[in-house]
Amino acid sequence: MIVHSLRLRHFRAHNDSRMTFAPKVNVLHGQNGAGKTNILEAIHYLCLSKSFLTTQDRLVLRVGAPFFELTGAFGGQRRSAVEVRLHFDPKKGKHLFTNGAPIERVADHVGMLPVVSFEPGDITITAGMPGERRRFVNNILCQAKPAYLEALTRYRRVLRQRNRLLMMAKRQGAAPDKATLASWDDALVQHGSRVIGIRAQFLTDFASFLHDAYRHLAAMEKNPAMSYSGSVSAARSWKVGAIEQAFRKQLAAAVKREHARGQTLVGPHRDEVKLTVDGLELRRYGSQGQHRTFGIAIKLAQYFYLNDRLGEPPVLLLDDVCDSLDSRRAEALLLLLQSDLVGQSLITAAGLETIRRFVPFEAGPNQRLRVHAGAVSVPDA
Amino acid sequence: MRYSSESIESLVEQFSRLPTIGRKSAQRLVAHVLKMTKEDVERFAKALLAVKERVKRCSICQNVTDDVPCALCRSDKRDQGLVCVVAESNDILALERTGEYVGVYHVLGGVISPLDGIGPDDLRIRELIQRLGPDAKHVIREVILAVNPTVEGDTTAFYLAQLLTPFGVQVTRLARGLPVGSDLSFSDEATLTRALAGRGPL
Ligand SMILES: [Zn+2]
Repeated sequence: MIVHSLRLRHFRAHNDSRMTFAPKVNVLHGQNGAGKTNILEAIHYLCLSKSFLTTQDRLVLRVGAPFFELTGAFGGQRRSAVEVRLHFDPKKGKHLFTNGAPIERVADHVGMLPVVSFEPGDITITAGMPGERRRFVNNILCQAKPAYLEALTRYRRVLRQRNRLLMMAKRQGAAPDKATLASWDDALVQHGSRVIGIRAQFLTDFASFLHDAYRHLAAMEKNPAMSYSGSVSAARSWKVGAIEQAFRKQLAAAVKREHARGQTLVGPHRDEVKLTVDGLELRRYGSQGQHRTFGIAIKLAQYFYLNDRLGEPPVLLLDDVCDSLDSRRAEALLLLLQSDLVGQSLITAAGLETIRRFVPFEAGPNQRLRVHAGAVSVPDA
Repeated sequence: MRYSSESIESLVEQFSRLPTIGRKSAQRLVAHVLKMTKEDVERFAKALLAVKERVKRCSICQNVTDDVPCALCRSDKRDQGLVCVVAESNDILALERTGEYVGVYHVLGGVISPLDGIGPDDLRIRELIQRLGPDAKHVIREVILAVNPTVEGDTTAFYLAQLLTPFGVQVTRLARGLPVGSDLSFSDEATLTRALAGRGPL
């Protein structure tokens, strides 16, 4: 997929900015705070209806503005020429339109315009709490598999209901009604096992893409791996039947603890995705360099995976990526962006020194845009 | 703004207590009532009162009715051995529209939802069990669970299946022809007919 043009109105640093993009590498450069990242954020918004930096739409509204509006022209195989418009008004909420028609269910839009983003805060994926890695996996699977989004949505609803039941019983100092709890257990196991099964299958499929990403980045380590571990690790296989059986067993074993705590202690909402390089757990033993390499490799792998599953290259958004890599890795990445393996990319940078050495702007499919105080211009060569 | 007439103000307030009616809509409704003839207003008021005075809950199926038991529960044209369990009275209207269903109903009055503070004891499940007991007038062969395929509906169906199976009755569920999470009362007749015909064990 390609984003041809973009307009940002009352969005963060931008009052009203318009720009067009080249089909390969687009470099947005300018000082920090000039509004470079906002442009990547706007594209992410149009593709997934949300920011990669915040969950609060209010925060991206330009100070004092009554609304913000983003408009993007996209082209691709899953959707030929489509104009997406997102309008946010703090009173009326967020509304998405494609070619002028309102989108009723955001879930129908997610995955139509595939996108992969990297930003420095993504370091939490490799270094942070398990929830960050679950979020990463959820983000990919919600774009790649509508069935996953459905299973996850249902699972979360069951989880809230079951937690309420356990909490109410705890407050009353009694055990929850056996038959009612058994009914929620069944729903929890049913939807939870689907979530676990799809996640585990995904990690198996993802391994080769992660290996490829490491190779492309000329990384020193040879063997990055992601494995699923958690409440139902006892499952002998990742077939849904086996997961359900293990899930039930774990749930039965946790009965007393669950009643005492008044919450659900077993299930995919507590599972962990373990990251290792050459056999060592990254979170505990990884060096800063290893974290950075894994952090970018995992995003490139996401890119290759979505490209393979959707049959269409996502738009690749890279915020300040060169600062996160040593010069050898940065060179490898910039050459990769210009190869046939990657479609369109947008990359922000404070300075052009590193980038200018490896990306020619004179003519052809690349472009650089200067961002200064919320305004975008094409500089003279 | 407020009206100088106290009786108008009071009617606006009454209308705006109804679901989906805001103050603006209530004012429009009152303006309409003022234009109605006295006879029309009397008929309207009587209908309102009659609902409260005459409509009762059927002692068997728990549906709303003027006469107890209701016409469906008394009918010898309906298969009294086939009971379709629904969450709300409105779901019956949807199933009756298909013209295909020959059995009778049981209205639960909701679904199990701890987040809304609704447990099995808040639903008319005890009344359903009574219909399967030794004192019941009709022998029930099959219970069709026709609750919406939401997380709460599915869980309620599971709960009922566990509860009813020991009574030796066949328990079935509407086929999954209905879109996931959809509302029974908004499904079209053809879809509902297919779901009924394709019903099976849980
Ligand atoms: Zn009746």
